[in-house]
Amino acid sequence: MASEIQNSNPTILNAADLPTRLRPTAPRKSGAYGAGIFTSALPSAANPNDPFSSSLYSSETSDSEDELMEEPIDEQEIYDLISTISDPEHPISLGALAVVSLPDISIKPSLPNVPESPLRTVSVLITPTITHCSLATVIGLGVRVRLEQSLPPRFRVDVRIKEGTHSTADEVNKQLADKERVAAALENGTLMGVIAKMLETCQ
Amino acid sequence: MSALQTFLLVVDHNKDEAKEIAERVAHDVEIRKTTLIEIVQSLGEYINDEDPILRGKAVSYLTAVIKALSPKYLSRQQIQVLTTFFCDRIEDGGAVAGLETLQKLDRFHRELAEEVARATFGYQGLQSRSQSQRFQVYQLLNELMLNHRSALRDMGDDSIVGIVDLMTGEKDPRNLMLVFSILKVVMVEWDISNHAETLFDAVYNYFPITFRPPPNDPYGITAQDLKNRLQDCISSTRHFAPYAIPSLLDKLDSTSPNVKKDALNALIACIHTYDPDAVSRYSVTIWETLKFEILNAQEEFLSDISLEALQGIAKRLSEGVTEASPQLPLAQYLRPITKECNEQLREPQQKQAKPSQQILRYTSAASAVSFILTVQSVVAPLLTIYQEADGIVKQRALLETLVVLFDSAISVFGEWSARGLDTILMNPLLEFKDQFSEIFGQALMKSAKEEVSFRVTALKGFLRLSTLRDFFQDNEIGLFVQYLDEILLTEESVGRDDLKKEAIAALAEISKYKPRLIMDITFPAFVATLPDADDGTISNYLPTLEILAQISVEKDIFETLVRRLLSKLTILLQKEEPGSPAYPRAILLTILYVMDQRKMDQDPNLGLYYEKIVMGFCRSVAASASGKAANRILNDATVLDTLGRLCNLIVRPVSKEQQDEVAANVYTLFAPAEEFSPVPFAQSATEDHQRTMIISTYLLAGLSKDCTSIPYTKPNMSDLLSDLIQRSITSTEPATRIALLRHFSLLVNKFLSKTDLPLATEKFNTLLPPGTESQTLTPEVIKTTFWLSKALVLRLVPTTTTILTSLLSLLSSPDEQTSTTASRGFAILLSDDDVLSPTNGANIRLLSKQRVFTTVIPLIANKIRQVNIAGNTDSESSPAPSHIKPAHLTALSGILSTIPPTLVMPELPTLLPLLLQSLDLQTSDSHAVRAATLETLAVIIRDNGVSVIDECGHVQSLVTRLLNTAAYTAPSAKAAVNPSRLRADALKCLYLLAQTPSPDAPAVARAGKLSPLLPVKAQVLRTLKLVLDDPKRDVRKTAVDARGAWLRGVDDVEEDED
Repeated sequence: MASEIQNSNPTILNAADLPTRLRPTAPRKSGAYGAGIFTSALPSAANPNDPFSSSLYSSETSDSEDELMEEPIDEQEIYDLISTISDPEHPISLGALAVVSLPDISIKPSLPNVPESPLRTVSVLITPTITHCSLATVIGLGVRVRLEQSLPPRFRVDVRIKEGTHSTADEVNKQLADKERVAAALENGTLMGVIAKMLETCQ
Repeated sequence: MSALQTFLLVVDHNKDEAKEIAERVAHDVEIRKTTLIEIVQSLGEYINDEDPILRGKAVSYLTAVIKALSPKYLSRQQIQVLTTFFCDRIEDGGAVAGLETLQKLDRFHRELAEEVARATFGYQGLQSRSQSQRFQVYQLLNELMLNHRSALRDMGDDSIVGIVDLMTGEKDPRNLMLVFSILKVVMVEWDISNHAETLFDAVYNYFPITFRPPPNDPYGITAQDLKNRLQDCISSTRHFAPYAIPSLLDKLDSTSPNVKKDALNALIACIHTYDPDAVSRYSVTIWETLKFEILNAQEEFLSDISLEALQGIAKRLSEGVTEASPQLPLAQYLRPITKECNEQLREPQQKQAKPSQQILRYTSAASAVSFILTVQSVVAPLLTIYQEADGIVKQRALLETLVVLFDSAISVFGEWSARGLDTILMNPLLEFKDQFSEIFGQALMKSAKEEVSFRVTALKGFLRLSTLRDFFQDNEIGLFVQYLDEILLTEESVGRDDLKKEAIAALAEISKYKPRLIMDITFPAFVATLPDADDGTISNYLPTLEILAQISVEKDIFETLVRRLLSKLTILLQKEEPGSPAYPRAILLTILYVMDQRKMDQDPNLGLYYEKIVMGFCRSVAASASGKAANRILNDATVLDTLGRLCNLIVRPVSKEQQDEVAANVYTLFAPAEEFSPVPFAQSATEDHQRTMIISTYLLAGLSKDCTSIPYTKPNMSDLLSDLIQRSITSTEPATRIALLRHFSLLVNKFLSKTDLPLATEKFNTLLPPGTESQTLTPEVIKTTFWLSKALVLRLVPTTTTILTSLLSLLSSPDEQTSTTASRGFAILLSDDDVLSPTNGANIRLLSKQRVFTTVIPLIANKIRQVNIAGNTDSESSPAPSHIKPAHLTALSGILSTIPPTLVMPELPTLLPLLLQSLDLQTSDSHAVRAATLETLAVIIRDNGVSVIDECGHVQSLVTRLLNTAAYTAPSAKAAVNPSRLRADALKCLYLLAQTPSPDAPAVARAGKLSPLLPVKAQVLRTLKLVLDDPKRDVRKTAVDARGAWLRGVDDVEEDED
C-alpha cells in the first residue's frame, strides 16, 4: 500500500447519523419493582431467580411467542454486514464514507415467477468517494466476499458500481460480475491480504 | 617450580588455585619475604615472549598479585611504576584488569588517570577483540569516569575523539549499554562545541535500534533498554539540535511504524530537554512534518505521539511567558497551525476535520498563553462559519470543535471552583460568552426534537461551559438547569432517549457543585409532579423519582428529598383509598437508592432516620398486620420487602444500644405487647400476621454478629429453629416462605454458637433422616432442607461432607419429583443472597465454594458413569430410572453457575464429559441446564483457548454438540426446538473456539503447531452456512461472527472456499 493515497480528505458521516435498526425498546417490565436505576439498589429482587420455580426450567415461558416470530433478512441487515468493512485507504468504515448506503441495497426474489422459491438476490450499489478511484474493484470484491461468507446459500449476491459515480463503471462491473475473474482474483495472495484487512473491522 | 610457573600452569583450568597462589605471593610481599620488584623481574622471560597468550598470562599474574594486596600497601611511586608498566602493555590480557584495580586506590592521582585514558585510547584493534575483552576496556573507562571524571574532562577534545574512536564499530548490546552511558556523560558535562557532530554521529549511527533479544534473554537487556539509553544520548544536549531534529524528521519517511514511533519518541525527548531557543528554531519545521502524520494518520498511535510532540513544543515555548503577544516564538509557532486547522475546519464533515480538532485540543491545552493565542485566531472564524452553515450536520461538527476547545479551557483554567490553578490571565472565551450562550441554547432548545445527536452535542457544550471555572454566573447556569428541567419534564421520548440520559447526568453533575440551583429550580418542579396517590391514571411518577434519586447525591438535596418523600408516604398510609401499592413502594425504593449511594454510617441524621423509619414504620407494620391500619399498603409483601431493606440499611450502622433495642424488638416490631404478638410460637397466625417475618428477617440481618439479646435464644435456639422450620414448610405465600427460610438460615449461619452446632445438625437429620435413600419428600421439605444446608455449608461445619452426600442421595430417589426438585436446589447452596450476605456479616468461609465443588463433582461423575454403564450393557438388572441422569446434570449446572471459573479448570478432564452429556439433554425442561453449561464452556474457552479442550481430547465431540445445539429445526418436527438463546450461546462458544489466542499468549503456543480445529473446519463451515438462514436475527449475527472467525482464525494448509 505504498502507492499514493487517491483521496486524502473524503467527507465522513457521523456515526450517529448512520442508519441503524431501531430495536423496539423493551417495554418497561411492569414487574414488581420496575426497571431502571433502582435495580442497582435491589440486586436480586428485581429479577427473582428462585431456582425451585419451575418456570425457569420449562420452555413454556412468555417469550415462546417471540420464539416463533420470524425475522427475515432485510436490507438493514445487509447494510450492517457490509457497512463496517474498512476502506482500503483509510481506517474508516464504508458506511461512514457513504460508499455503501441503505437505499442502495435491495433484496428481491431471484425467480419472481415462482413465488414459493426461497431464492433471493441481493443487489448492492457502491458509490466510490471519487470518480476515478482505482480501488473501486477492491472495495466491490470486499463487499462480495463479506456477503458470500455471511449469507445462506439461497442468496445470490450482485455487487455493482452505482451509475454515474465512476469513470470506468462498466469495466469494473464487468469484473465484479464475472465469476471466473472473481475466483481468479481471490487466488491472488496480495489481493486477499488487502481484503482480509478490510474485513478485520467487521463486527 | 616458582609461584609464577605454577600460576601459568593452573590459571587456565583452575581459577581458585591460581587465586590462592596470587594471594600467597601477595602475603609474602606484605610480610616482606619478597618484593614487588622481584616479582616484576621474574616475569622477565615471559613478558617478551612471542606468544601473546603467554604474555597475557604473565601480566595476569602481576594483576592477580596486586589485586590480592591490601589497598593501602602500594606506595604512590609503586602505583606510578605499575601503571606505566600496564599502560605500555595494555593490549596484553590482564593489563586492563590491573589498571582497573590500580585506579581504585586512594594514592592513584589524576595525572595517572590521564595516562591510563591515553593508553586506553591507544588500544590497537579493540574491535577485533572478544566481547568480554572489549567490555573490560569500557568498564575501565567507565570506572575512570566515575572516579577521575575531572581529569578526563580536562583532556578536552582528546578525550572526546579518543572515546569515539575507541567505540566506533561496537555492536554488542551489553557493551553498547555501557558505551551509551559513558557518552551521555561526555555529552552533558564536556565542552563539546567542536565535536558535536562527531559525537552525535557516533550514537545516531545506532538509530533505530533493531536489536531483538535472543531466546531466554541471557543478557537481561531488552530492545527498550537500549532505545532508552540511545534516546537519552540523542536528547542530552542542545548542541545536537541541528543534527538530531532534521535526522529524526527524516526517519518519519520510513515505512515501518515502529521506526516512526522510535523517531517520534526521541523527538519528544529532544523537545523536553533542548532549550526553548533550539526548540523554537525547529518548531515550524517539526509542525510541517508532523502535520502529515496527524492529518493522514495510518496508525492511531503515531498520530497520538505526534500530537504529544506538538503539545510539548507549545509547552516549552510557553515557559516564562506571562502575556500573549504576536511577537512571541509561541505565536510564530502557532500561527501556521491555526491557519491550517481553520482551513480544514471550513469543511467540518471531511475526514481531516477530526484530526484538526485534535491538533487544536492539544496545542491549546499546553498553557494559558497557548490557549489564548489559539482562541484568538480560531473562535471568530468558527462562529462565522457556524452562522453561514447550511445544514445541521455541519453545525454539529462545528459545535463539536467548540466543545473540544472548552475541554482545553477546563484543563487550563480548571473546573468549578478548583483552587491551585492560579492563572492571572483572563479566559479569552469570556469575550464570546453571550454568543456561546445563545448558540448552544438555541441548538439545545430550538432545534427539531429528532435531531438528538445535535442537541446532545449542544448539551455537552453547555455543561462544559457551566463547569468551567469563573465563566458562567449562577443565573446563567440556572438557565441551563431550566432547559434541562424542561427537556425532562415536558418532552416526549425520542429513540433511545439519549438526550434525557445526558440531561439527567448533567443535572447530577451540577448538583454536586451548585446544589442551591438544583434545590431552587429543579427540585420544586419535579416534586410538584408527584401525585398524592396512584389512582391508576398517572403512572409517570417512576421516571420522576428516578431523576430525583440521581440528582440527590449532595447532602442538602438528599436531606430535603428524604424529608419530602417520608411525608408523602405518611400521608399515603393514612388514606382510606391509597390506590396501588406500587407507588408507596417506589417512594421507599427511592429512599433506599439514595441512602445506598451515601455512606450512612457517617450521616449525622442517622438517629433521626432510625426513629422515623425503623421504629415508626415497624410499628405501623405491626398495626397493619393486626388489621388496625387505615389501608392495606403495609400488608403488601413487596412494600414490606422494600421497607425491610431500608430498615436493614439503617440498622447496620446504628449504635450498640440501638442494636440491642432492635434485637429485643425483632419479633414485636416495637409494638406494645397487648397490640401485637410475635410470630414465633403463635398458635394460629394469619397470613397477614406471618408476613411481618419479612421485616423481622431484615432487622435480624442488620444486627451485629455478637448481639446476644435476640428473643427465644436462651438457653438455646432449638425451639425457635424448630418453630421457624415448621412454619417455612407449611407457609403458603412465597414471599413469607422465603423470609422464614432466610430467617432460620441467618440464625444458624450467623448467630448459632460453635458449641450449639449439633442442634442444627440434628434439625438437618430430622428433615432428612440418614440412610433413607429411596424416600419421597415434598418439595417444601426439600427447599427447607437446602436452605438449612446452605447456612451450614457456607460456614463449613464439620459435617459438610455428610450433608452434601445426603443431599446428593436425594437425586437418586425413584420418585421423580423428589429427584428433580432436589436437583434444582443445588443452585441455592452457594448462590449469593441479599440477606445471607457478607455485607450483613454472614459467616461465609473463603474455601466453602472449593470444598463443595471438590466434594460433589467426583460423586456426580461416578454416579453418571454408573448410570451410563447400566444403561448400555446389561438388561437383567433394572436400569436406573430415566430422570436420574438429568437430575445429576442439573445439580452439576447449579453448582457450576455459582463457582468461579478458576476452580473449575483443574477438574476439567472430569468435568468436560459431563458438560458434553448435559448438551445432549433434549427435554424441554433442560434448557436452563444447557444454557448454564454453554455459559461455563464459554468462560472456559475464552480464558484458556481451544488447547485445554484439545488436551482432554474432546474437540470433535464438543464441536459436533455445539453445532447440533446451534441448529434450527422447524417447529413441525418432533424434536423440541432449541430456543434462540441456546442457539446463539452455542454459536458464541464456536466463535470463541476459533478466536486466535490472545497476543499476550507465549509465542511458542502459537508457532509451529497446526490448529487442533483443523480436522473439523470443513464440517463447521458447512454446517454454519445453513445456520446463517436461522429465522432469528440475533442468531444469524452470532453465526456470521462465528463463521468469520473460523474462516480467518483457523489456518488452513490451503485456502479453499467452499
